[in-house]
Amino acid sequence: MQKWRQALVVFMLSIYTAFAAGPFLWVATMSLRTTTEISRDHFRFPETLHWEKFPDAWFNSNYGVYFTNSLIVVLSAVTVLTLVGAMAAHCFARYRFRLNRVFYFIIFSTIIFPPQITIIALFQILVQYGLFNSLVGLTLVYVAFQLPITIYILESFFSRIPGDLFEAARIDGYSEWSIFWRIALPIALPALSTTIILNTILLWNEFLYAVVLITDEDKRTLPLGIQRFMGDQMEDIGMISTGLMIAIIPVVLIYAFFSEKLIQGMTAGAVK
Amino acid sequence: MTQSRALRTPWRAVTVFLLPAFTLYVGFTAYPVVRTLWNSFHSVLPARESYVGLANFAELAKDEIFWRAVRNTLIWACTSPLFEVSIALLLALALYAKVPGARLFRIAWFTPVLMSYVVVGIIWAWIYNYDWGAVNYALRALGLGSWARAWLGKPETALPALIFITTWMWTGFNMVVLLAALHSLPSEVIEAAELDNCGWWSKLVFVIVPMVRATVLNLIVLSFVGKMKIFDLVWITTKGGPLWATETVSIYVYKRAFEWNTFDLGYPSAVASVWFVIVLGSVLTLTFLFRQREKLEY
Repeated sequence: MQKWRQALVVFMLSIYTAFAAGPFLWVATMSLRTTTEISRDHFRFPETLHWEKFPDAWFNSNYGVYFTNSLIVVLSAVTVLTLVGAMAAHCFARYRFRLNRVFYFIIFSTIIFPPQITIIALFQILVQYGLFNSLVGLTLVYVAFQLPITIYILESFFSRIPGDLFEAARIDGYSEWSIFWRIALPIALPALSTTIILNTILLWNEFLYAVVLITDEDKRTLPLGIQRFMGDQMEDIGMISTGLMIAIIPVVLIYAFFSEKLIQGMTAGAVK
Repeated sequence: MTQSRALRTPWRAVTVFLLPAFTLYVGFTAYPVVRTLWNSFHSVLPARESYVGLANFAELAKDEIFWRAVRNTLIWACTSPLFEVSIALLLALALYAKVPGARLFRIAWFTPVLMSYVVVGIIWAWIYNYDWGAVNYALRALGLGSWARAWLGKPETALPALIFITTWMWTGFNMVVLLAALHSLPSEVIEAAELDNCGWWSKLVFVIVPMVRATVLNLIVLSFVGKMKIFDLVWITTKGGPLWATETVSIYVYKRAFEWNTFDLGYPSAVASVWFVIVLGSVLTLTFLFRQREKLEY
């Protein structure tokens, strides 16, 4: 009886799994089939694997450019974010000064701001300073956008590092900077890797800021490129699928290697 | 002596550590917010800006599309949390009961939330496709071909279809958070309930749910806020159509600012400002309401 019940539960959960993962599997099969094959029957595993569609999308449909742009923006934004965020978080966690909590709360509360409240003015500002349609401008916006959550995650980690450690280092003659650089940062490595992975995924997927701040074809990030390609080649389902897979695969790879880290980052703050 | 040394604030270090973050925050978050608020009292055309007082807000009050967008967004924000959190709770309980393969299930269910709304939107637009989408395909296979329709193309089904997508996307996320909360519960309490010969339903309602209440409420707020901001998914799938059936406030702001040929950034800024106040207000209200009831100690 107990056995049967468990089997039933596992069966239901497997159905839910198929429901959660099925759409991705479907796109994966279509990414290896040509559009003519797909239009004959949309739900079928590929008979011949058309791997050549990937280089085709990469070189002939500009996906190489989109991918590179995304990579540049995400890597530089994450690097700056990690450093700037860690400095601020360390400062909030370690130094007692007036307005510490006020500043922290102001930055923290930005997490719930709807992006529209900044997007129009950011457009004006970036146009004014010649940063509109530039990857540098987009990177700076991304850094500011992810800064609050980064500081929040890192601060809660830094504040658990015992202060005695810093006192000892200070007595040993460490400067404030080398206390941060040589003691706090290495200890905080687990938290840093959480924010790095989290920010990489979120920015890799970001669409709203990109669609407003980038219009040049050769500056498009991957989500913009896919949207554009979808608009131009509505009917070419096979090729769009290949493009989707190019965006999905890096995320799946990161998730495969760092699943727990990523889950930790995404859910930070929700568990209380 | 050492005491006072330890307590003295090294202002130089504080400044150095905070300056980069502060500059970025002021330049790319605080200033844009203030400027948007300022915009909303002005007519902002490419060449000139002029003060118009409350005219934008007066127009807003009479703007039917805006109210339509508010209605759609609120429907979305109020229904989504219910679906997401309740389904997630059931799934979390199933995994909590030590089902074989629980780890794998957990990792698989979390996947949708890691994908870009662009990817998810395109895939689901296909799933809802009238001629060959998976939904209609399944319906026809089951002999229910008369139920087949263009799910995103009909005003009465478009919004529910989109709500379904976000539920699909976020349930796994909620499940993972709830599972973590369940695992952090003291197992003695649940064992005691089992000893008292509690049925599984009463165990769920009287023991488990009250104990993860804080997490549930948190998830509700989180899901609510997420839907109040929603843009990408709608933009990829329906662009607010058909007949404004899926117009959300974010979509409307974007359209008025960058799509319509009015060239005025003042009016969309007013919409954004009003929405900003509503989002902040509702989050504060929800947090306040949820804090009010006494907390359960265990």
